[in-house]
Amino acid sequence: MATKTNYKLTKKDFNQINRRNLFFNQLGWNYEKMQGSGYLFLMLPQLRKLYGDHTPELKKAMKTHNQFFNTNPWVNTIIQGIDLAIESKEGAESLETVSGLKTGLMGPLAAIGDSIFASLLPAILGAIAANMAVQGNPFGVVIWLIANLIIMYIRWIQLPLAYREGTTLVTKMQGQLNALTDAATLLGVYVVGALVATLINIQVPFVAHIGKVTVTLQNEIDMILPKLVPGLLVGLIYWLLGRKKMTSTKAIFTVIIVAVVCSALGILGKG
Amino acid sequence: MHGNIIFWQVLLLTLYSMYQIWDELTIVSSLSQPVWAGLITGAIMGDVTKGLIIGGSLQLTVLGVGTFGGSSKIDANSGTILATAFSISTGMNASTAVAAIGVPVASLMIETDILGRFTNTFFQHRIDRLIDEENYSAIERNYLYGVFPWILSRGIPVFLALQFGGNFVSTAVKVLDTHLKWLSNGLATAGALLPAVGFAILLRYLPVKKHIAYLILGFTLTALFSTLYTNVQSLGTTMATVSKGFAGSFNSVSMVAIALIGLGFAINEYKRNTEKQKLTELVSSYKDSSQEKSNDSEDGEIYGDED
Repeated sequence: MATKTNYKLTKKDFNQINRRNLFFNQLGWNYEKMQGSGYLFLMLPQLRKLYGDHTPELKKAMKTHNQFFNTNPWVNTIIQGIDLAIESKEGAESLETVSGLKTGLMGPLAAIGDSIFASLLPAILGAIAANMAVQGNPFGVVIWLIANLIIMYIRWIQLPLAYREGTTLVTKMQGQLNALTDAATLLGVYVVGALVATLINIQVPFVAHIGKVTVTLQNEIDMILPKLVPGLLVGLIYWLLGRKKMTSTKAIFTVIIVAVVCSALGILGKG
Repeated sequence: MHGNIIFWQVLLLTLYSMYQIWDELTIVSSLSQPVWAGLITGAIMGDVTKGLIIGGSLQLTVLGVGTFGGSSKIDANSGTILATAFSISTGMNASTAVAAIGVPVASLMIETDILGRFTNTFFQHRIDRLIDEENYSAIERNYLYGVFPWILSRGIPVFLALQFGGNFVSTAVKVLDTHLKWLSNGLATAGALLPAVGFAILLRYLPVKKHIAYLILGFTLTALFSTLYTNVQSLGTTMATVSKGFAGSFNSVSMVAIALIGLGFAINEYKRNTEKQKLTELVSSYKDSSQEKSNDSEDGEIYGDED
């Protein structure tokens, strides 16, 4: 059964949803329904066109879309595109299917979106920007902005694509995305290795006087492997983070306290 | 060096702190990141370089920290704003400001973030009621009201700290520079060490065990090259002062070149994966057609090896 109005979404509709997504998504975020009300807000005008104002169908649809929802904010409109494709074909009777689809897709899409857009890209772009920034160069910061503008464009075009392709889109892209994520994480791990070797300016200022011989410890360490100290420290913090009840904030404060103590004892110093 | 910040600076910084959380939630333009906060605060306070240094250090500290599933994260952006503003107005050392102001502020702001997220439930309950009343424009309005808890959760604390915290910070700087020199050195060391935490957190989110070979490659290649480049650089600079005929420019190691080597490895990995995938698809389609068993058709997945 089609909807009563038989409305088909136009380019204008997609633009409206995209505008709302880019500038207002997540503003209603709360502990109870998370992005739930945002999901409704994004496509409320389209729901009204599909079902017509003051109909029981519209009320049912609004209630369905005001439920708990949370996914990665870069990929959420893929789910909304697929959802709208189904609803405009099958009307209010499809709302149960749509509910299932939403909960079924939000987890896997969040996993893909979070790993690429929320951790990997900001980590790599952030590292480049920060690397230049600590040397007083603002150019890397601008690169980051440009990269994110490109990502915004992708977020803009994914909605009509998802609407056209429907559920097939997810299965079609699954394999390719897995290969891409794998290659991207490889690059991420490699870059972190490189950053450890350049951006942690820590050394051991300890100088031992044995009789007439002075031994500068840092020189000895450099003979074994340059940047050994930063490498070991990252390994140590990595291990610390893996312990039970350890959070990133706790780890940061632990490091500050340990650094102050070690600096006072003359074991560690700024390079 | 009285530690006070002029009112228009306070106002601009407060406005920026309110804008950044909106940006972070919606368009994600990167303007909400600590490096940008450092650049913008530095520009407002009149010392861009110092802003970039503080923003860059805090950026590295939170490199791997993200919000997943709606958890609050350490607010390095507000931390950067306050650390940069006070560091410039009181003349505090940049690394010290990162550890002494940036990090404590960033973690305190987790509380106001939670408060903001909590307050939004109020508008949420209104929306529930308005759906029953079929009041469409009010639904949208109340949704958009959600912006206020968010921006105020950043704006109010940043404003109060900038307006009233100046004297406290400048006294602290004086004491740190004279009586507590060891502590100020220690905080500077901590500031230099904090990126290590960022890298370690990042590694926790990445499949390290699977790609351990590339971690070693990235680290060792860069360690060797950067030492080599630094040594050549200092050699060259010294030579240039000794001999007038000796000229030439010496740069530090190019991180883009290092990253390109990594990109090469990544491309190889991608190609290997897609080939493997095509092969398994071929095998499974062959199996399906020869055995005509519908039960096995779901076994095409091979990528279960997430760390």
